[in-house]
Amino acid sequence: MKKDINVNVHHLTRVEGHGNIVVNIKNGNIEKCEWQVPEAPRFFEAMVRERHYSEVQRITSRICGICSVGHTLAAVKAIEDALGIQVTPQTNKLRRILKHAENFDSHVLHIGVLVAPDLLGAPSVFPLVATHGEVVKLVLRLKRLGHEWGSLLAGRTTHPTTCVPGGFSKIPTKNELVALKEKIIANVDGINALVETVLSLAGKIPDFNRPTEYMAVSNDMEYGMYLGPTVQTIMPDGTKQKYDVHDYRKITNEYVNPRSTAKYCKNKLDCYAAGALARFNNNYDQLYPQAKKIAQALGMKPVCGNPFLNSAAQLIECAHSVYETLDLIEELLVDGIKDEPLVPPKRFGTGASAVEVPRGILFHEYSFDKEGFCTAGNCIIPTGQNHANIQKDFEALVPILIQQDKNEQEMELALSMLVRAYDPCISCSTHYLKVKFVK
Amino acid sequence: MMSITHLFLFGALVKYIMGVGNYSMFDDSIGIKVVEEITAKNLDQGFSAIDLSGNLLNIFSYLNEGTEKIIIVDSGEFEITPGEFIWFTPDLVVSTKELTNITSHEGDIIKVLKLAMETGYHLPPIQIMGIQPECIKSEFGLSKTLESNLARYLQVVISKILED
Repeated sequence: MKKDINVNVHHLTRVEGHGNIVVNIKNGNIEKCEWQVPEAPRFFEAMVRERHYSEVQRITSRICGICSVGHTLAAVKAIEDALGIQVTPQTNKLRRILKHAENFDSHVLHIGVLVAPDLLGAPSVFPLVATHGEVVKLVLRLKRLGHEWGSLLAGRTTHPTTCVPGGFSKIPTKNELVALKEKIIANVDGINALVETVLSLAGKIPDFNRPTEYMAVSNDMEYGMYLGPTVQTIMPDGTKQKYDVHDYRKITNEYVNPRSTAKYCKNKLDCYAAGALARFNNNYDQLYPQAKKIAQALGMKPVCGNPFLNSAAQLIECAHSVYETLDLIEELLVDGIKDEPLVPPKRFGTGASAVEVPRGILFHEYSFDKEGFCTAGNCIIPTGQNHANIQKDFEALVPILIQQDKNEQEMELALSMLVRAYDPCISCSTHYLKVKFVK
Repeated sequence: MMSITHLFLFGALVKYIMGVGNYSMFDDSIGIKVVEEITAKNLDQGFSAIDLSGNLLNIFSYLNEGTEKIIIVDSGEFEITPGEFIWFTPDLVVSTKELTNITSHEGDIIKVLKLAMETGYHLPPIQIMGIQPECIKSEFGLSKTLESNLARYLQVVISKILED
């Protein structure tokens, strides 16, 4: 049916930061179809210059309150690469547990607070307290677990303090690890309940498929989250290719687009996707069996090309994080957790790293002078890598929505859900209070 | 200082000063700066100082029987002179902020506490120290007005948390 539709979502809600959706259809023809990012640059790469290597991760962790663990880990790994530092196996295990905590925490928030309202027909989580109170309580309980899990490892989950170049400034005790293990085990029923809830709503996830390239961290020892240093891509036909992280500029190929103040990225195709679905597609074989079981229940297998299922991939990763963390804790307890001195620098040069944050692959690179002061920094965040892919999804989805004769409201909801599925972290705004006194 | 680790293991009765805000948005970071200063000067004796930043839902970890009292330091529009502050409790206000929802970037602590109440969390006595900013912009640091008042904020908030 040839009709006029105007979708103009100024500052999409339930995403991190500011993005706009603009679609203008006249007489059935698409005149404009854009995912716009109007955020101003924040110049963190300039802020780290002339800072000592021991300070850099504390600054870059402030890039994001949700992914501050990931920014800390990416920074310390790049610093260690630049300084010739090889951390101990114990440090790597503790950092992997920390990485899982962040992903679990963020994924629960995204699935339960940001995506669930769409699936349950509510404008936000607040009305769900009255209609789906038990689900909200469950999500808050699991969110709390994620926070306490990460805080034990990092001092605090928001802007960690203990994770530093060369190791940890403070490590958990044996008793604390045992307590964490018991706490996670006590919440396994909650994770199962969240899975059941999502499964019951799976029919409401839109059926849409657009083949694209997927990029994620890869390592033979784990479902690529922390270790790296290899980056892997998978094409729609299942072809995989590995890259060294130091070649990250050649695979991200940042460029400027007038629709966005954030740079776009591309590799082999004109865009690629990062995030839980990209990890799922690249590293499916390394998922824990309990996580694979959820994928099977959801009918998901690689290569999955439905971006709406990124949230489902996050749920699968929640289970993976739980079971891998339990195993890592057990290994630490068997080996005996011990205080270790920080590994000192062997040289000062340039280093790069890739770490998976909840929203996808995150690249950091730093150079240091012979005194250990930073001379250059570069951070490529996952949401920036996803902008071009979101735009291409829009261009593929809108004609389908027109064909399905969707009205303005339905089209706005579908496009908003699509952007939210990527769990974008566009930039930071403020938390400034604005209140009215009622008593 | 009693950390969350301590809470994790022993569940002791604890008082908290929590800083809320965005570190990279100039005066919006005042709550975090207060907590940072308390920790840097080892002033957190008899209470714990928590940097909540924008991860407001993390407050749920402290809403339990083991918490004696919470003071939240945040910036806000209170129609008072920049640098001045007011005290209030969550039940005295409603949030009028637009775009209010729970993400780390859109939420506000009033909404989060309301959610906690509605979902049956134990709310200990909570007081909010609301500081009027001079300037909110994308930049690290504080305005001269808030910077020059930082010592006063510390003195007032610490006295308040240690009151019986």
